[in-house]
Amino acid sequence: MKEFLLDSPVTDGFFDYLRNFGKVESLPDVGEGFYKFEKPDCFSIKGFAGDTTVEVRFKKEVMDLTADFVYLIFSTYRGEGEEIDLSVLKRREEAIGERVRKRLYGA
Amino acid sequence: MVVRFLKQMSAGERPLIYLNNAATSWPKPPGVMEAIAQSLSLPVFGSGRTTGTQGEDYITRARESLSALLGADTPENLVFTHNATDSLNILISGFLAGIKGECHVLTTALDHNSVLRPLYEYDQQHRICLDIIPFEGCSIRPEAAEAAIRPDTRLMVMTHGSNVLGSVQDIRAIGNILHDHGIYFIVDGAQTAGHIPVGLRDLPVDAFVFTGHKGLLGVPGTGGFFLRDPEAIAPVRFGGTGTDSFSLLHPRGMPERFEIGTHNYPGLAALAAGVEFIRATGMESIMEKAERQTAFLIRQLKEESNITIYNEHPDLPIIAFNIRGLQNDDVGFMLARGFNIIARTGLHCAPLVHRAIDGGEGCVRLSLSWNTTDEECRIAAEAIRRIAGNADSTVGQA
Repeated sequence: MKEFLLDSPVTDGFFDYLRNFGKVESLPDVGEGFYKFEKPDCFSIKGFAGDTTVEVRFKKEVMDLTADFVYLIFSTYRGEGEEIDLSVLKRREEAIGERVRKRLYGA
Repeated sequence: MVVRFLKQMSAGERPLIYLNNAATSWPKPPGVMEAIAQSLSLPVFGSGRTTGTQGEDYITRARESLSALLGADTPENLVFTHNATDSLNILISGFLAGIKGECHVLTTALDHNSVLRPLYEYDQQHRICLDIIPFEGCSIRPEAAEAAIRPDTRLMVMTHGSNVLGSVQDIRAIGNILHDHGIYFIVDGAQTAGHIPVGLRDLPVDAFVFTGHKGLLGVPGTGGFFLRDPEAIAPVRFGGTGTDSFSLLHPRGMPERFEIGTHNYPGLAALAAGVEFIRATGMESIMEKAERQTAFLIRQLKEESNITIYNEHPDLPIIAFNIRGLQNDDVGFMLARGFNIIARTGLHCAPLVHRAIDGGEGCVRLSLSWNTTDEECRIAAEAIRRIAGNADSTVGQA
């Protein structure tokens, strides 16, 4: 488990953006809103809207393959209402997904 | 968005509410902090290890105070180790060292990995044949223990108080049955020492294990055991004791038989201060407060229909629960990050308990200490109820 300190508070919009890469669940009425993102076989991200920290849990068997992608997800996000080109991220996601599947399931 | 750096736990802005005392108690009484500082303010005083005469003999002080608290008549039979797990390893290994061939050993499904793992290791090595006695309700029935006894049963190791369910076991009844069959009885008192009277003087227990950093209000790195008959356990660690130094064989007297190397002086100074605090406060007061606060929290949690409490009448200030629709580690995360309330989630090193109560998924555990305030209980109850009240959303599995 790693805790990431960000340069600005996470927002509802950030977790909406994460929906592009996995499943997001929420309890919007607890605190400023609790969010949990899950990318099966890779990692999960938990946090509260308004906080500058999130908790990232990596699947340790493939952490070496996925850690950079987590940084890429964060660094690509531009804030509420900003246009984001997901094409690079999607290509990277696909390539990593294939390597993760091969590592975990041999296929 | 830029990740500035990775960090450890954040403190948050709200005051910290610590409800993880069954793991390690916090905060410590002021006297404990002072004792540690005091113990380091002069050179270590250790009989046989220095020509100095200054300093306090914290080891003897801790041994005598703790013996009095536990109701043990022979302080020299109270041995200091690193913690409860260390003690259990010494006792189990030392007992089995005196047994030729394989024997039958009993433990329970309530027990902690500090008991289970050493025993499973010996079971794997075919040194023992291990049987696990299941619990009913939250307890081990003495009749179930009796029914599990075989002609070759030599040892039973069990917890005094469950670290998940908070239930205190009837070690008197079980011990009497075991002794009728000539079976050696080791009791793990990690969760009970400092919380309830133990009364070792007349308990049918052969060895009683404690740890310093939980209910006894000391610091991590201290623990030990009381041994009724030292000859029943072979020493398994050897070395310097500061006594009988000409002999190349390890001394067999107590407590040197089991205490090797230089003691943890600051830790034992803290333990002595923690025990003295408990004795000055009085066990009755400690129990009354724990019972009242635990009952309050349980009453509050029961108000939410989607909270499952695994023992509604614990004997110890321990409350294990889950919120339906939420994973236990998500609840722990929300309490910690959203409310600055520290609990513990997961399996609590007691996998067999969880296999029985929650399918091995784990739960959230709140555990109180003498230093927990009523206001902290109120805030914690409110936070948990708020989370539960919002749990009908999309988080977690139903």
